[in-house]
Amino acid sequence: MDVLEARGLEVSFGAAKVLRDVSFTLRRGRVLGLVGESGAGKSMLGRVIARNLPEGFAVTGGALSFLGQDLVTIADEPRRQLLGDKIAFIPQEPLTALNPVMTVGRQFDEHLARLGAPRAGRRERAIAALAELRLRDPASLLERYPFQLSGGMCQRVLIAMAFASGPALIVADEPTTALDVSTQAHIVQIVRALQRDHGTTLLFITHDLRLASHVCDDILVLYAGEVVERGPAREVCAAPRHPYTRALLAANPPLDGAARRLVTLPDTMPGLAAFASLPGCRFAPRCPVKDPACAAATPPLRDIAPGRAVRCTEACLTGAAAIVDAAPPRPPAPPPGETVLALETVSKHYPGERDWLGRRRPGVDAVKPLDLTVRAGEFVGVVGESGSGKSTLAKLVMGLEAATGGRIAVDGKDVTVNDPAARRVRLGALQMVFQDPQSALNPRRPVSRLITQAMEAGDGRWSEAERVARARALLEETGLSPDLLGRYPSQLSGGQKQRVNIARALCVTPRLLVADEIVSGLDVSVQAQILNLLLDLRRERGIGLVFISHDLAVVRYLCDRVVVMRHGEVVESGDTDTVFAAPRHPYTRALLAAVPPEDPDRPWPPEPGPAA
Amino acid sequence: MSRIALLLLFRRTLLAIPILLCVSALVFVILRLLPADPVAMSLPPGASAADMEKLRQAFGLDRPLPVQYVIWLGKLATGDLGVSIYFRRSVAELIATALPATLELVAVGLALGVALGVAGGLAMFAWRGRAGEQALDLGAAGLMAIPEFLWAILLILLFGVAWPVMPFIGRLSPDIALPAPLTGFLLLDSLARLRLDVFASALAHLALPAVALAIGVAPLVMRVLRSSLLDVIQEDYVTQARLRGIPERTVVVRHALRNAALPTISLIGVQAGFMFGGTVLVEMIFAYPGLGNLMVDAVRNHDLPVIQAVGLVYCVLVLGINAAVDVLYLAVNPRLRTPA
Repeated sequence: MDVLEARGLEVSFGAAKVLRDVSFTLRRGRVLGLVGESGAGKSMLGRVIARNLPEGFAVTGGALSFLGQDLVTIADEPRRQLLGDKIAFIPQEPLTALNPVMTVGRQFDEHLARLGAPRAGRRERAIAALAELRLRDPASLLERYPFQLSGGMCQRVLIAMAFASGPALIVADEPTTALDVSTQAHIVQIVRALQRDHGTTLLFITHDLRLASHVCDDILVLYAGEVVERGPAREVCAAPRHPYTRALLAANPPLDGAARRLVTLPDTMPGLAAFASLPGCRFAPRCPVKDPACAAATPPLRDIAPGRAVRCTEACLTGAAAIVDAAPPRPPAPPPGETVLALETVSKHYPGERDWLGRRRPGVDAVKPLDLTVRAGEFVGVVGESGSGKSTLAKLVMGLEAATGGRIAVDGKDVTVNDPAARRVRLGALQMVFQDPQSALNPRRPVSRLITQAMEAGDGRWSEAERVARARALLEETGLSPDLLGRYPSQLSGGQKQRVNIARALCVTPRLLVADEIVSGLDVSVQAQILNLLLDLRRERGIGLVFISHDLAVVRYLCDRVVVMRHGEVVESGDTDTVFAAPRHPYTRALLAAVPPEDPDRPWPPEPGPAA
Repeated sequence: MSRIALLLLFRRTLLAIPILLCVSALVFVILRLLPADPVAMSLPPGASAADMEKLRQAFGLDRPLPVQYVIWLGKLATGDLGVSIYFRRSVAELIATALPATLELVAVGLALGVALGVAGGLAMFAWRGRAGEQALDLGAAGLMAIPEFLWAILLILLFGVAWPVMPFIGRLSPDIALPAPLTGFLLLDSLARLRLDVFASALAHLALPAVALAIGVAPLVMRVLRSSLLDVIQEDYVTQARLRGIPERTVVVRHALRNAALPTISLIGVQAGFMFGGTVLVEMIFAYPGLGNLMVDAVRNHDLPVIQAVGLVYCVLVLGINAAVDVLYLAVNPRLRTPA
């Protein structure tokens, strides 16, 4: 029995076809993954189902039917009746998906009332549903407000609500993206178990192909609004055929196996505005194996094996096999130079805030005394989940926060107290790259001025010509075109913005970069470009790096040494390959086990931990 | 919740004491520095210098300023607001009759303004992007462009003179005997004594001044509520409620409105404070026997004890409104009363 069936579905924004020729069938009890990078149109389908398309977007062709009912033409009222009851949704941002001024219990009760449950017994039903998700003390949970819960707890509440009606279909749009890796593993485990127990059909939308390979039965890979590859999840990930799928997997650093240099694709996915000028294969401009015919006409999605289909010509598929094999091994780390940064028993304690009655709340030890030295040319990764103190560590290093204990030295000079002299020493040697490339760039300044901002400081007088020349050199060094000099941040893509941020940090020729989650907001293919850029910078400049990240695979690819933090404490540190191959601390082991492995046949997620 | 609300009120009250002291000292000093002689005003033109001196001594006006202030404060602490120089009546008594009248006017005006503002805000939101929204927006701009005292005069000209359907002088028709006050609030007293004629007349007399005051509040409430609703409707929890199949009307009222109410409530608090200022002119125009009229009479007659006392009462009222808004905020926003 087909629960959801799309036939040639087409969504347009003006003349641009945002989704083109999307067809699939989703059978009862199966999990279908919709995988793509941002802008691929993967969220569009959920929005068509909910009739929640953004302003100006409309379904312009094809059909989408749910248990035989056409969801495109169905009237508003019967569609509303389906939502929450027969079709349920698990959102991307659990913390904001619950109403902050209503208790969890009120919202759960509202949902059960909407399902027509009689008042008597609703509370018991809610408690039972929360208990099924291994939430501790569900009765008291009902009395609490969403802001008192963690993201993982909110997501479990929302999952409990989604399953409460025994829906025929659940649409989960990036349900774990906003969560820590170990929480992600928990949530995936719970959703899969419930889905199996209830025989629910699941549409799982994600940017993470590797995660999808473990969660889904079948996968659709979307690129620029088109299905480029379709097939059983394990087969697609173990033996990808389409050049894009291959490149996507090859751009994602693995947690085990040999360290090859990541494969990067040039540029980024075309945006809406570019669709009209791409009459042929939309991947052709970035495709390493395209031939002239690709740009002329869109190849059809053709079956290549039972259950598998690819939107590519036979000739290209043959050529695409070389993409991954051609990747050279990752360049070895150069011998490290002299010590740039030295932390000795550095700690940070935040005193509790005073409440409105003037009483001081208990404080937090954001960073407990730790030692760390980084030498020139050395890449050190700091990993940990949210709240582990890794970002506070970056702020202490940069002097953005004052340490409450210990000593910080840069080039052997004490900079613990960030006075003007210490600031000069620090900024001559260290620079920071921030997490959000968007908000780190002043939107009213052109690129040329942004990246040479450091030349305005101090007493050095620089002519306009000198600044432009420096800007050109920095753009070239970070792999950007000199055309960007006069552009403003709003005219740049996410990857370009992060390169501009890196270029800005390089302006004063620092010997150490401090990078706080600088690739976490980027798509996998863009992330690979940035990671390779950092490796190139080390080779050319001998630059060092403190790389703060929650992504262990990225740290493994990039860093020679790794520091694992938990609750402000270093639980394990050492040579990256050694730590990852034979983790000694149970927390490191748990973190590593929570990462979806590259091999789709390895069972994942791991066995559940204790309930939160 | 109630414990936190009580603690908050207690803290507010403690904070109010220094504020009231400052305000009272300010009013006291400024009034004494003005070239106005209350004694000369209250005696017939032919009074002798000796008579004036005698009266001055009787009122304590010959003592040094700080001494006068301390004496006044001491009496204030015992509830003695002094005697009006002009009316020759206890100031407390004058305020006791005028305060309920003003509170009644402000309460009706504020309720009307908030009701119209919330209704308008919801209507503007419901008609977003359509002609109705434009019309309401234009109407609000028109209402705001004309000050409330001018509205008062316009309302009198329209509904009192050109089309005489509404009374516009005083609190009650002159042919109705004022019932003995219970609370001083005519609407409440008349209901308590089952005097529906008094109730109807009092309500009719409140109508025009209350509308004039409401016009100052409604457009602002309407605009703030609408823009907060437009923000809140984008929030994930609103989308998620829709995705659960909650009907749109419930989504707006239960999920969007409660969150959008927060900025609106603080606006209403500020507006309520301003409204007491607005009553001064409106009460004068409608010859409404409230605090505003009392204040104007007192100023006109250099009646220092009354000016001081009414000034202080205004201050207490504004502080009280602020505290009430804080408690309301606490009730509506759980983030303030629950530790995260």
